[in-house]
Amino acid sequence: MKERNQYREVEDFLADESFCLWMRSQKNVDGWEEWTLEHPKRAKLVEEARLWLLAMKVPNDDLSQEEVGVALQNAWMEIEKRERESKMEIQLIQLWQTGWFRKIAAIFVIGLLSFYTYTKYFAAEQLYYDYSQIVKGLDEDGLLEQINNSNRPQIVTLSDGSSVLLQPKSKLSYPKIFTGNERKVFLSGEAFFEISKNPKKPFFVHANEIVTKVVGTSFRIKAYENQSDVEILVRTGKVKVNSEKGSSKSNQKEIVLLPNQALRFERKNQTFDKITDITIDKSLRNSVKSIEQLSFEFTDIPVAQIFKTIEQAYSVEIDFPKQEFEKCHLTTSLSDQPLPEKLKIICKSIGNNSSYTMNGNQITILSKGCN
Amino acid sequence: MKNQVSQKNILNDDELWVELKAGNEKAFSILFKKYYNCLVQYANTLSPFSEKNQDCVQDVFTDVWIYRNSLSETVVVKAYLLSSVRKRIVRLQQRDKVFNRSKSVDDSVFLLDFSVEQQLISDELTANRAMKLNKVLNKLPARQKEALYLRYHNSLNIDEIAVILNVNYQSASNLLHRALVYIRKGWNGALLLLTMLLLK
Repeated sequence: MKERNQYREVEDFLADESFCLWMRSQKNVDGWEEWTLEHPKRAKLVEEARLWLLAMKVPNDDLSQEEVGVALQNAWMEIEKRERESKMEIQLIQLWQTGWFRKIAAIFVIGLLSFYTYTKYFAAEQLYYDYSQIVKGLDEDGLLEQINNSNRPQIVTLSDGSSVLLQPKSKLSYPKIFTGNERKVFLSGEAFFEISKNPKKPFFVHANEIVTKVVGTSFRIKAYENQSDVEILVRTGKVKVNSEKGSSKSNQKEIVLLPNQALRFERKNQTFDKITDITIDKSLRNSVKSIEQLSFEFTDIPVAQIFKTIEQAYSVEIDFPKQEFEKCHLTTSLSDQPLPEKLKIICKSIGNNSSYTMNGNQITILSKGCN
Repeated sequence: MKNQVSQKNILNDDELWVELKAGNEKAFSILFKKYYNCLVQYANTLSPFSEKNQDCVQDVFTDVWIYRNSLSETVVVKAYLLSSVRKRIVRLQQRDKVFNRSKSVDDSVFLLDFSVEQQLISDELTANRAMKLNKVLNKLPARQKEALYLRYHNSLNIDEIAVILNVNYQSASNLLHRALVYIRKGWNGALLLLTMLLLK
């Protein structure tokens, strides 16, 4: 720093802290007053410098000692907080650097990712209601399962007297005894249903994504797991069809099918296609099975012939006393009846305390001939 | 209190700085008390939010303590702190700008207008002259005013001003020089006018 005796410019004075102090607070520590008066030229410079200082005032709102003290305390508090945070950060980093923690984290992430993809995949798959999934979920109900691995249709008789003609490579799950207010069975594949009438206990067939509700009727359902469509063809009575998803959503309309109407459900798009004339649809026409073509309207027909028709239709064997029945003729309509009902009606018509037993596809008629 | 005052007298800024770097909390507190006021006042010339400015100065000190190990040994403490405060305020303003909350320019603007020390003036002639000079001073560009403020209110040298304003020595020197030339010109003109008026 220059000696004050060599100050030639206003700036020299302005930069001198001691001079500024003298000017602003009139604390004449370094004998400025006396020094100024020593020289008239000096006085002029000092006067000018003073004017500069006077014109250059800045707000002098000094903070009190207390305010500064509070601020210092705040700063220490902030420091403590940040030091704690950084310590935790260091601990986290150290934790991360230990191998096992990283392994656990990796496993966790992989688990989370696979769970995510699984649920996503699963959600996409949920479009297709799988027979095994549905049945698995209901396992506790004590379901019986009939699987047809043969190349001939099999007859399944349900506890309510309904009969189901199960086609090859198809399976049916059904309770041993129907309880509650509804009858529920699960189908995978193709089957012809003849349901005994019971309006108080509606009958439900769950097949892939489709729920078919009936009261008493005959119809066929084709619902193979590996096929893209589900087909329902009505023979007699009235059938209501809904999708599994739609059944939970009340806003979706049921589709009502009448005799000789069919419904095709596209599993991929979840769309229904109602076919009002089954003779037009080629694939449906070709798939009609013998049971649906056979007429059960009998007018004065020998009982043996009626049994033969039943044998053909249901792929069963009927053992009956041929000689006793030689002269028996019947007139009856059995179209809308399930197999047990048909047999019961025949036995009743023959009279003479006739009865039948059924063991798988083996039916035995016990009778002493007709009246 | 007396103890601290005596310590302040014993240790200068550089020594306190070394102590602070070594982890001496007392040195930190002394420096804090010494410069807090001056730093807040400087912050107030750059940003109108005085509450925020105090926080900002406290944050500067907090950072100094937390990162004391990585700080340079040889700094002019006052200039370093002033420069830290300025950088922080500019950064905050830029952040606000990003979030569209402030329309200020990219570099911090010196907001302060100098005023006249009325209390120290007894005669009218001096008052008039001081007013004229004050008007000329306040017409200066913000950066030149800031340079003057740092030079004559904080007694910093040109080196230090250059660091704070983030320019090189020559630019800082020019800034001050131009300000002084401008003032002298403006003021002489005003004085001439004043004398003419008085002579009339």
